[in-house]
Amino acid sequence: MSASLVAALFVAAALVAVGVFTAVWRRDVTAALGGIPLILGGAGVAFVGVARFAAAGSPHLFGQEFAVLLAIAAVALLALGLGIAGREGAR
Amino acid sequence: MDSLHAIGFYVSSGVLLIGGLGVALLPGRELRGAALAVVGVGLGGLYVSLAAGFAAVVALICYLACGALVAGPRYRSVEVVVGPLWRQVGALGAAGLLVVIIYAAFRGDFVTAKFFGGAFGVSAIGRLLFAHDALATEAVAALVLVSLAGATAVWRVRERAR
Repeated sequence: MSASLVAALFVAAALVAVGVFTAVWRRDVTAALGGIPLILGGAGVAFVGVARFAAAGSPHLFGQEFAVLLAIAAVALLALGLGIAGREGAR
Repeated sequence: MDSLHAIGFYVSSGVLLIGGLGVALLPGRELRGAALAVVGVGLGGLYVSLAAGFAAVVALICYLACGALVAGPRYRSVEVVVGPLWRQVGALGAAGLLVVIIYAAFRGDFVTAKFFGGAFGVSAIGRLLFAHDALATEAVAALVLVSLAGATAVWRVRERAR
């Protein structure tokens, strides 16, 4: 039993699709914002998978670096989106 | 990749996708926040099984924070006026996107390379973040600063309006 780049990309694709589904299906804007971390997490899985299995040259850590940046960007975007949506909801 | 890492990869993938479906389908902000925390646990496990320990720690912390934000008391529900037809079109678009990406992943001609990084690799990633790609790090830091300042400003305006 082993995992491969294709398996990692499948998981990434499923996570991105679930995130897009969340963003378009939810009627509540603040609930739809929950799709942002899923989309960025899917991108991070793809980056880490490529870094693990298929990165040519050295260093082999660019994908991990981008996954770190994407995770931080996800929480920042969610905080900003919830703040703005909360302001609209209070009106 | 040995069997233990492969088992961790598939188990974490299952946890990750179950959490993602929970975010998409569960009612109530507390349940959705818990589902986002489950996504963080699954993502962290997946990263660990792919020998990305530092990214796993950062992702776990960030997604737990996302779950706390969604489940927190500052959450406000804002309904948008979008017809059910457009929502169904969007859902079909998401399914189409999944098919396209899976086809690209399955048919792609990828190179294979030997992985030389360690299981955690914090020093190498630190060198990349703060020396090689300092501009990207500063851009994300600016995004975090703008987000925190914007969220604080919005919160203060809302408190004054009460």
